[in-house]
Amino acid sequence: MVVGTMLSVASTGAGTATEFFGEFRHLCRVESKFRQRPKRISVRKCMDGNNFSHHNCIYRVPSTRNFNFKTRGSYLVMAIGKENVSEDTDDTYDDLFNKFGKVVFRRKDQKPHSEEVDDDAESLSFAVEMAKVASEVKAADIKVLFVKPLVYWTRFFIIATAFSRPQIDAIGSKIRDLAEKKYAKVPSGDSKPNSWTLLDFGDVVIHIFLPQQRAFYNLEEFYGNATSIELPFENQPPFRS
Amino acid sequence: MIQPQTHLNVADNSGARELMCIRIIGASNRRYAHIGDVIVAVIKEAIPNTPLEKSEVIRAVIVRTCKELKRDNGMILRYDDNAAVLIDQEGNPKGTRIFGAIARELRQLNFTKIVSLAPEVL
Repeated sequence: MVVGTMLSVASTGAGTATEFFGEFRHLCRVESKFRQRPKRISVRKCMDGNNFSHHNCIYRVPSTRNFNFKTRGSYLVMAIGKENVSEDTDDTYDDLFNKFGKVVFRRKDQKPHSEEVDDDAESLSFAVEMAKVASEVKAADIKVLFVKPLVYWTRFFIIATAFSRPQIDAIGSKIRDLAEKKYAKVPSGDSKPNSWTLLDFGDVVIHIFLPQQRAFYNLEEFYGNATSIELPFENQPPFRS
Repeated sequence: MIQPQTHLNVADNSGARELMCIRIIGASNRRYAHIGDVIVAVIKEAIPNTPLEKSEVIRAVIVRTCKELKRDNGMILRYDDNAAVLIDQEGNPKGTRIFGAIARELRQLNFTKIVSLAPEVL
């Protein structure tokens, strides 16, 4: 790349770098970049040449020049990144990209791993509790899916079938009551019973379908890669009258 | 910036292909609709042998706009096309799957159903 070739020229050219650039200019397509470079190097020599004070720098120019170029050549990648961030960000990023291979970016508001696990456990207990409530109101085919690996915007899906709108209403209102009483969470989503009623608690999203809608939208298939959570009440023997 | 007479693509598998906005729902005399707004639209082009037909009037939610969407954190979101998802009067989507990326603002605007059917949320 441009940066690489240019800097190797600078390091091998040592003291004669400026003359070399004069000739190189005719050959190279990116001449404007090349012409800027020697100026910047000579300025920096006075500034960071092993902390020489100003008058020292003037006397020592011939000897320090060589030294400077050598050191620059040896730790090229780091040096540019450290000294020259404000002027030369494109080159800096190129170097970083060559070194690391990808842009490394971390958001500051991210939580540590342990806290994430705690949150997961908390939402899981909440989700299981909600599923239990749904099963108490005789919702059928309740599934709790751990969708966090698939979508970033929530952790758990609860999918349940109800057989009539009054039943959807009953399930919805019971879930709402318990969530508000025990966990102080208020859902967004549908307030009226709907053929697909959705209660959005943030980390847990509850879908209550009529059988027809459940088959139509087929959410389980769409989230087929999500792990299904085993529910404690599922293994109980079915109620017989 | 969707206004009456704007043509939109359809971002679901409901069977419509192209819509034309004829009214924006919300305040009266509203000029433009943005992501998350509900519009009344007419189907201009439909896939044959599907329940929806040309010149049917339906409701739709705008999910993508060429006009950029600004977020509070300085992020700007802009798509290559204007696209909408058909919904019924209750707010349930008419299709079963959404195509393409959609914005997370839809969740705040109570279209979590659309978000949960979408393959990618930005």
